[in-house]
Amino acid sequence: MAPHNALRNAYISHVRHTLRSMKQQIHFVTGKGGVGKSVVAAALALKFSRSGKKVLLVELGDQSFYEDFFTLSKVGFSPIQLRPNLALALWSGESCLREYARYLIKIESLTRLFFDNAVMRAFISVAPGLSELAILGKITSGLRNHGPPLPYDCIVIDTFATGHFKALLEAPKGMSQAVQFGPMGEQSRQIDRCIRDKQASHYHIVTLPEELPIKEAAELQADIKAEFNIDAELILNKILTVPVSGQVVKEIALDKKDNLNEFAIYLQYQIQRQIEMKETAQKITTDFKCIPLIFETDPWKLIEEMAGKI
Amino acid sequence: MAMELFKNTKILVCVGSGGVGKTTMAAALAVIEAKAGKRVLVLTIDPAKRLAQTLGIEGTHDVTKVPGQNFKGTLYASVIDHKRTFDDFVLRASQHSEAVQKIFNNSLYQQLSTNLSGSQEFTSLEKLYSCYDSGDYDLIILDTPPTKHAIDFLNAPQKLSFLFSEGVAKWFRDPEGKKLGLISHLIQSGTKQVLKVLETLTGSQFIRELGDFFINIEKWQEKLLQRTVDVQRMLIAPTTKFVLVTSFDQAKLKEAEYFIREISKGGYHLDTVILNRIFPSWLDQGSEQNKNKSSDNMDLNNFYSKMKAYYSQRDVYYRQFQAKIEKEARVLRIPDLVNDISDLSGLEELSLLIEERQSKT
Repeated sequence: MAPHNALRNAYISHVRHTLRSMKQQIHFVTGKGGVGKSVVAAALALKFSRSGKKVLLVELGDQSFYEDFFTLSKVGFSPIQLRPNLALALWSGESCLREYARYLIKIESLTRLFFDNAVMRAFISVAPGLSELAILGKITSGLRNHGPPLPYDCIVIDTFATGHFKALLEAPKGMSQAVQFGPMGEQSRQIDRCIRDKQASHYHIVTLPEELPIKEAAELQADIKAEFNIDAELILNKILTVPVSGQVVKEIALDKKDNLNEFAIYLQYQIQRQIEMKETAQKITTDFKCIPLIFETDPWKLIEEMAGKI
Repeated sequence: MAMELFKNTKILVCVGSGGVGKTTMAAALAVIEAKAGKRVLVLTIDPAKRLAQTLGIEGTHDVTKVPGQNFKGTLYASVIDHKRTFDDFVLRASQHSEAVQKIFNNSLYQQLSTNLSGSQEFTSLEKLYSCYDSGDYDLIILDTPPTKHAIDFLNAPQKLSFLFSEGVAKWFRDPEGKKLGLISHLIQSGTKQVLKVLETLTGSQFIRELGDFFINIEKWQEKLLQRTVDVQRMLIAPTTKFVLVTSFDQAKLKEAEYFIREISKGGYHLDTVILNRIFPSWLDQGSEQNKNKSSDNMDLNNFYSKMKAYYSQRDVYYRQFQAKIEKEARVLRIPDLVNDISDLSGLEELSLLIEERQSKT
């Protein structure tokens, strides 16, 4: 065995030992489009990293949101360091599958032949459930001790929006039913067990105090409870905290001559709607948090302030 | 007042990433033209409950005449049933043969027809095409499925159609190349190795499932491809226009810029970009200047200033964006209305706002 291989294996076994002694934590963050789930995911990751954990923030797909958001040079499959304990990576189905293939086949030229093939690339991008399975396989690889090492205490995933997120969770189950034998069936069953493991996998549904996002969040919450016995936490984002009493707002909302009349009408409506939406959230689950609307346009300041408030 | 957007327009496609208010915008645009005397159909994907109630399409997938309307023209609405549209398409394409039951039972088909990436885009366009083909409407407005990025909607059908091209299907239908006879000699030696890699990754049973799937779709894949071509022709026709609905943060605006570049490369006609719900309506009107009494509550005054400063700061980004894309498309900035839209008059209010904004540009 070549010396660098021996070194690599020693490193892998060291990492695995460490991971076994402290179970890796996985946090899935989802929600309807436009509710601010990426910002919440980043704030959550920052919060965990502040408590001394080594955190990897992962976004899914081909295009990075954080690259534009934080004005970074390039976000890709290999993690880049954002802060001392906080790294960021972008995982697509294809890149996860490619890494897995390289790990399994061990012959670089053959792996390249496979992924450079136009038909295969197209096939991977649309094949039912394959991308989803590859992504979940990568996410749970540390927990399953399978695949290249993933040396983080905590992984926070800014995952797909509601509908696609359900498809993501269903992929291992669907695949293990469709393909009962062979490596794919076995891996699918393992992955499915990991995403249901309450000690390791945690779920956060981000929503706004508005009708449609709440409705979607409620449906998703109930669906994954019924199908996977997963208890997801609900996060109500962008709650407007009004610094004056409801009575004052009401009086000004009635006074047509007041220069803040329209502003007060707006606030009155927001307050009323937020009360209703909190009641709705309460009915969905008692496990819900609120994040105030933060008047900050600088991305890092926004994330830092939010991390302190989650 | 006639809107430029609707001149010689038969189809209007509202695109945009999830959560930007596409559905509401599609419905409000439809109201404008129904008022102008046209027969308008709005095809929606997943309307909010109150919007569905307003349009009279809650709990039904049939094309419905919107209740309580008093327009010069007529407004129709429908929610697209993806599973049914897909199954209907397969039934028609396979000419109702018995083999169709086999494909309905195939587990890969079940995933494909419901939650595979690209299938909702396909069914939306399929439904649009059949409504367009019927000739029953002067204008059809399509609300598109929520995608992560606006451009995904346009890429999805091509991705899907590639899967159904004969080149791909024959690989899996006959991986050993047994039926191909002479042609099998022509298959590059790499092909078998590539399939071997897929088998290592997935197992032989998966390859068999795939083979079964492709054998079953053989009858209708040709029709699906043909349909993709017809749909594409419909989408690039000059009478089909695109409206990009977008909102909020800098990342969304950057994405919109990217989309605008891509859409013109693809030969589509982007007409208008709607920046939706970008500031609360009280800020828009400079309402405080018209009032004679200044509020004496300091806390509320401070809060007002804080919110106003926040939105003004964000407004800088919008103006930069507008300056950049003005040459490619009209830009409409729509404020966030105080109330959620809960009836037809709410939609009319929004449609008036759009017309008013349009006349300003």
